[in-house]
Amino acid sequence: MMRTSPIILLVLFVATPALHANPEFHRFIVKNSGRSVDCALCHVNRDGPEGTGPGQVGHLTPAELEKLGRARAALAPGMKPESPILNLFGNHIINSIGKQKFAELRLAPEQLAKTLPKDSDLDHDGIPDAQEYLDGTHPLMKSDGRPWLLFKNNLRTNLLQILLATGATVIGLFGLRHLLNGFAIAVNTDENDEDENKEQHP
Amino acid sequence: MIDVFLLIGLPYLALVTALVAGVWRWRNRRYSLSARSSQFLEDRQLLWGSAPWHIGIIVVLLGHIAAAAFPQIWSAILTVPGAVFIIETIGVAASLLAIAGLCTLVVRRLTSARLQAVTTNADLIVVALLLAQILLGLITATDYRYGSVWSTGTVVPYFWSIVTLHPEMSYVADFPMLFKLHIVGGWLFILVLPFTRLIHLLAVPIHYLGRAPQLVIWNNARRRQHAVVATIKAESRRAFLKGTAGVAGATGLMALGVSEKLANFFKGPRPDPEAESELLKKKLERLQQTAQERQLELERQRSNFIFVARYGELTETKGKYFTDYAMAPGLAFKGKDGLPIVLSAKCTHLGCTVGSEVDGQGRVLCPCHISYFSIATGQPNDGAPAKLPLPPIGWALMDEAGKEVASRQPGQPLQGKVDAELLKKCGLYITKPVKSV
Amino acid sequence: MSVKEAIKNVESYVGERFPVEKMNYASMVQKKEVPVHQLSWGYYIGGLALFLFIVQIFTGLMLLFYYQPTVSDAHASVEYITEHVPGGALVRNIHSWASSMMIAAVMIHLLTTFAMKAFARPREITWITGVVLLGVTFMFGFTGYLLPWHQIAVNATKIGLQTIEEIGQYLPGELATWPRAIKETIQGEASVGQATLSRFFALHVIILPLSIAAMLGIHLLSVQLHGMSAGVDEAPKRKEKFFPTFFLKDLKVWGVAFLVLFILGLCVPFESFFAYPLFSPFDPKGSTPDGIKPEWYFFWVYYPLELLPFWMIMLGQVVLGAVLVATPWIFQNTNRRAMRLLAVAAGIYLIVMTLFGENIYHLFKG
Repeated sequence: MMRTSPIILLVLFVATPALHANPEFHRFIVKNSGRSVDCALCHVNRDGPEGTGPGQVGHLTPAELEKLGRARAALAPGMKPESPILNLFGNHIINSIGKQKFAELRLAPEQLAKTLPKDSDLDHDGIPDAQEYLDGTHPLMKSDGRPWLLFKNNLRTNLLQILLATGATVIGLFGLRHLLNGFAIAVNTDENDEDENKEQHP
Repeated sequence: MIDVFLLIGLPYLALVTALVAGVWRWRNRRYSLSARSSQFLEDRQLLWGSAPWHIGIIVVLLGHIAAAAFPQIWSAILTVPGAVFIIETIGVAASLLAIAGLCTLVVRRLTSARLQAVTTNADLIVVALLLAQILLGLITATDYRYGSVWSTGTVVPYFWSIVTLHPEMSYVADFPMLFKLHIVGGWLFILVLPFTRLIHLLAVPIHYLGRAPQLVIWNNARRRQHAVVATIKAESRRAFLKGTAGVAGATGLMALGVSEKLANFFKGPRPDPEAESELLKKKLERLQQTAQERQLELERQRSNFIFVARYGELTETKGKYFTDYAMAPGLAFKGKDGLPIVLSAKCTHLGCTVGSEVDGQGRVLCPCHISYFSIATGQPNDGAPAKLPLPPIGWALMDEAGKEVASRQPGQPLQGKVDAELLKKCGLYITKPVKSV
Repeated sequence: MSVKEAIKNVESYVGERFPVEKMNYASMVQKKEVPVHQLSWGYYIGGLALFLFIVQIFTGLMLLFYYQPTVSDAHASVEYITEHVPGGALVRNIHSWASSMMIAAVMIHLLTTFAMKAFARPREITWITGVVLLGVTFMFGFTGYLLPWHQIAVNATKIGLQTIEEIGQYLPGELATWPRAIKETIQGEASVGQATLSRFFALHVIILPLSIAAMLGIHLLSVQLHGMSAGVDEAPKRKEKFFPTFFLKDLKVWGVAFLVLFILGLCVPFESFFAYPLFSPFDPKGSTPDGIKPEWYFFWVYYPLELLPFWMIMLGQVVLGAVLVATPWIFQNTNRRAMRLLAVAAGIYLIVMTLFGENIYHLFKG
């Protein structure tokens, strides 16, 4: 019991997050879901677009900078902005509602979930992106989502395998039961044989 | 012409004969409806022949019967992905099992003088027919794949057309000879059924599965003494058989549901070129990051000054992170007096990295256990989990030529003099700590 | 006491705990009987822990095929397993779930054996090896936690190791520097890095499995030698044969455990209970993300540590460890009723701290 000392860090959401490109959305998600998120929800780099790391503005090549300029001008929806600082989800937002609408939504970040396309599920985990946005889970990570929702969806998709495994377990236990019984009987018989032999040769 | 006889004439001949002869035998020779056990003549090889043979042939027959009796349900099952593959595999495996068992039985018949005495010519014919029939079926299954699928639209309607007295041979007329022979074989069995020991098929002994095993033994005193032991042995053998069947079944299901995944786990992924290049890129980035750290480490071992930031980049409200000589994080701010403040950012409580935002009271926060550190003194707030102040780090300001303008070592007064104009051109460096002797 | 007598005493002590005359198939398997009473369910927990350990060995070996224990590749290789290797996510997820379940099973096993007073003579060795096994299991959890090299892993390990150094402040003189030296020896360098990863990897996949195998051997051998402890005061009305009756029931429990594990592994990613930033690759230069918590099985000591002074917890730990090791002698004459009450109290404490620890913390610290 004494072996390892416990790990000591604590979840506290009091800590104010560092500077973000769109703090309104960040604050809304944390408040709405109770889960902490970082910029990697929509951006390439988890520390946001400013800086010199991979996926940040300071790290872009001239060609990518040009792309960024074009993406920033995607005011109307459907312009397929391939912004090099945004990830698939970030680009998906801008593509489906347009940069202008997005900027307006800063005043009402809760509305973003309603404006996003209902059926889009980028990571195919069965939870729509809009729902994942509200839940504070990553729309591009298959393993991230509200556990109960993931459980329901995965149960549906893997039902056949689960049934097969259940069948295998039941049949396997049936088999093992008979094998063990057979083994026990056989062992008992050997003993009986020995007993008889003893009786026969006193 | 020959087709008409084989596919329409023969079936009716067989059905009528079987019906008449069967009823006659059932009424007049009731106790001959058996397989005529030879267990008491030889029982060792019998187990290894009879059990696999019967298990195999029953599985195969049930498959045929199910497809013929419930073609709709059967087809519905086959639409499940992978089901065709599974059913074909089971069928082939079962017929191989049956062939193995039948061969053992043939060898047994041919090598035991006792058994030859009770073997009739009809038996030999039946065995030859059975072997031929199973081989034909097996070849059909491998040469004309997925019979479980195509039979529901061909052989099954043909079968029902015969049974319902509307014979229609066009369903099967175009099949290759090989498969027609398999059909003919089936009718032949019905024909010979009442005249051979195959008749025991009609006395399906389902209840045998549940009842205690019975042994056929010589009835004499010595044998009777061992009868009890022998029964127990038979019982355990039966248990073993059931057990093996169960374990084998479980393994089979596992193979379908789980093990298939496991095999691919070891085989590994075969990503497409795009995914592969994505992966490589990610790996390269991580390697570069590691290389950078190694570089930092080397730099700290070799040089006496480490660059932190241009003086102009320092602010009073947000610290700038850097890596100090101990490879731990540090923070640099601009103080009220315009001089840099350089502190370790490793929380003195349990080593988290302290945040860089300065609050209204000139403090930074360690988010792990909520300690506020004053950046001017490094002291934690009262009642904070951290007890010790953040240690200051020695620094130096150098101008563009690399000349030291000002410096301060922890616990010592400022050296050099500062002048606002000059400072703007300076860079902030941390200095290598002097090893205390 | 003469030397001869002493040797004789040792001989008879060991002889009683490891009776050679019973070391055969007949008395260890065929003749062994298991009492049937209202606490009989406790007999299955140890077997369940064993099953989960076997699962851990298999899934662990499979993960070993792809995992790379270097700081630059560890996180990438884990990501590769979950995202690209067929069935890799399942194997890894089962490994995570089974580790938690194994630790839960081991903790319940400890409480039930304690409540049933199953450590009474001649089963002291069984109990002691059990306590060691518990420690090894916790070490498995602690070392395995670091291997994915993500934010929560490295930060949690850093702080966990830091507590060793903390002990230094209560030690006098030269001794005060020892804990730091010990910490750095475990770490292999001044801070958690490649050396730590290599060491934890070696511990997790070679040293701990070997030691657990050795301990488990002794543990199981003595369980089979002495049979199941009666567990209750009144003589059992019924007994069942260990083989095959009880063993079969054990297998059924294993079957259910397998199914639960399989369904959880397939349907609920273990990581979905945490915020995703915790699983981004560890970045030594960035700040620590919010929301880092230890694994649930450390809550019982983690939240008190947050609320009470450090030395109290350390003292408590030392006392707890000593009491656990010395249990067969301390509680020699305690009756089963009292044992059961103690076990229930400990169980309630563990459950409350695990489920409501955070609420309690906020209650006191605001």
